[in-house]
Amino acid sequence: MHTENSIQIADLSFAYGEQPVLQNINLQFPAHRFSVLLGRNGSGKSTLFNIIAGLLRHSSGSVKLLGKETNFLSYGERARLIGFLPQFHKAVFPFQVRDVILTGRAAFSGIRPSKEDSGRVNRAMAELGIDHLAGRAYTELSGGEQQLVMIARILVQNPSVIILDEPTNHLDVYHQTQLLGHLKRLSRSSYTIIAIMHDPNLAFLHADHFYFMRHKTVVYPPGGQGHYDVQFLKEVYDVNFKIVPVDDRKIVVPVQQ
Amino acid sequence: MKKNLAWILIYGLPLPLLLVSLMIGPSPDLQLGDYTTTAARLLKGMGVEADSRPALVVGIIRNIRLPRVLLTFMIGAGLATSGASLQGIFRNPLVDPYVLGISSGAAFGAALAIAFPLLSINLSAFVFGVVSVLLAYLFAASRANASIVSIILSGMIVSGIFTALLTIVQFISDPFKLQAIVQWTMGNLHHASWSKFNQAVIPVGVGVIGIYILRWRLNLLSLGDDEAKAVGVNPNRDKFLLIALATLVTTASVAAAGIISMYGLFVPHMVRMLVGPDNRRAIPANIFFGGSFLLLIDNFSRSMLQFEIPIGIFTMLLGAPFFIFLMKKNKINWV
Repeated sequence: MHTENSIQIADLSFAYGEQPVLQNINLQFPAHRFSVLLGRNGSGKSTLFNIIAGLLRHSSGSVKLLGKETNFLSYGERARLIGFLPQFHKAVFPFQVRDVILTGRAAFSGIRPSKEDSGRVNRAMAELGIDHLAGRAYTELSGGEQQLVMIARILVQNPSVIILDEPTNHLDVYHQTQLLGHLKRLSRSSYTIIAIMHDPNLAFLHADHFYFMRHKTVVYPPGGQGHYDVQFLKEVYDVNFKIVPVDDRKIVVPVQQ
Repeated sequence: MKKNLAWILIYGLPLPLLLVSLMIGPSPDLQLGDYTTTAARLLKGMGVEADSRPALVVGIIRNIRLPRVLLTFMIGAGLATSGASLQGIFRNPLVDPYVLGISSGAAFGAALAIAFPLLSINLSAFVFGVVSVLLAYLFAASRANASIVSIILSGMIVSGIFTALLTIVQFISDPFKLQAIVQWTMGNLHHASWSKFNQAVIPVGVGVIGIYILRWRLNLLSLGDDEAKAVGVNPNRDKFLLIALATLVTTASVAAAGIISMYGLFVPHMVRMLVGPDNRRAIPANIFFGGSFLLLIDNFSRSMLQFEIPIGIFTMLLGAPFFIFLMKKNKINWV
């Protein structure tokens, strides 16, 4: 069992101009695990991810990626530490899948990819089982296949931490299950995986650790029952839940009133 | 389209085309025999005597046709390459090299120099072309994050301003100067000369080579800013560099040959249909195919009729059907 933390966030606050978005966040994500961040729309999850990924700079508090303060990282250093799968992606030109994945090496191979980079592309495609897509046009793929291609693109970058903003959005049940299975497996090899998700059951089924955001900050379930706590879930989602046992596990079901 | 055929079209065509282009022109009394005898004499190392027919042939080729052929090839290559890179950077297949207002700025500069001859026409066109891009950038950068839409919009605004200014200059010019201005804006390769070639070769050369070197980065930029940052690359540096290079190429081309409209829009699309969207292959293909296709069009424009048809008009008349043919054949559907 690893006890080290990949990401340590202390006293982080953030505002867009006068509008506070994050208040006093204290949070650690353990290394080599699959963690999920849950919460309602607008609770600050995506902003927190953008700060962790270095797309936004924070002015108060500290965010450490493997011990290094993110504000001081250069693009090149950051590329070694973290890969980010943003929420929306719309391609314009019908690039071949292998060419899209190859751009994941851009932080390391200045003006031209090397032979070794192509090897990495092949290995990443094999790891995610998408070899057969190599020559296809990215724009012609289904949503699930596109998502796997973008994850392969992060694998060739080979960062320690991979963060994904709603990776299962717009995917059918088959692709959701497949993708989360891949993420779980990756977390057992050399990666730390952190994802924002909206479906609590899907998250509980596949991930190891769960963090909840509510009104610009992180909230933790009171001790004892963990996250299967209707009172706590109502606080997070403003919806009543019922906990239903299914075989040897539980699922949470939203109920009226 | 068959891969080999595309390859031959792009890389096999330029050299024979350059040679054939040297033999085409509005001098009806030069026959094929003149070229062969001259070539035979030169190959045997005999040289040509003054005032002989071979001397005439050598003179025409060296002083009139060679600079024109080289300038045409260079400008075709330049417009296609800068069009391809700007389409990639702005992630927009509707973009052409004039998107940041270069053509209007340069046309105004040229008109100003024609109406009030203080600067040379070329220099004035070049200066105002660069000014227009700087203005477009400045307007867009007044907002914290210059998005693609805001840059393209301010390019259109700058373009509008310079078009208005151009109209003022045209309005107050006398008919002869007005005619010169209008002809300049139609594209004017028939004024090609060694001095025009020499003025354009360095900026176009530097720009095209620079874009060629950065061609793989262009793939990354075409995926979008967030996708670049997601894998640890700051897209702004590459973008700035590529826009600067494309501006250099386009402005120098317009200064040397006037406005050749649409060429930088449709050639990159043709190339994409021939070799695919990967810029590692598409940029060199744009350089070669862009050069030879404009040369081909120019050959028609200077040999079809008794008088020359301005190149800007001919690019559309010949380019459009070929473009539509490729579009039908390749079934590229833009979303």
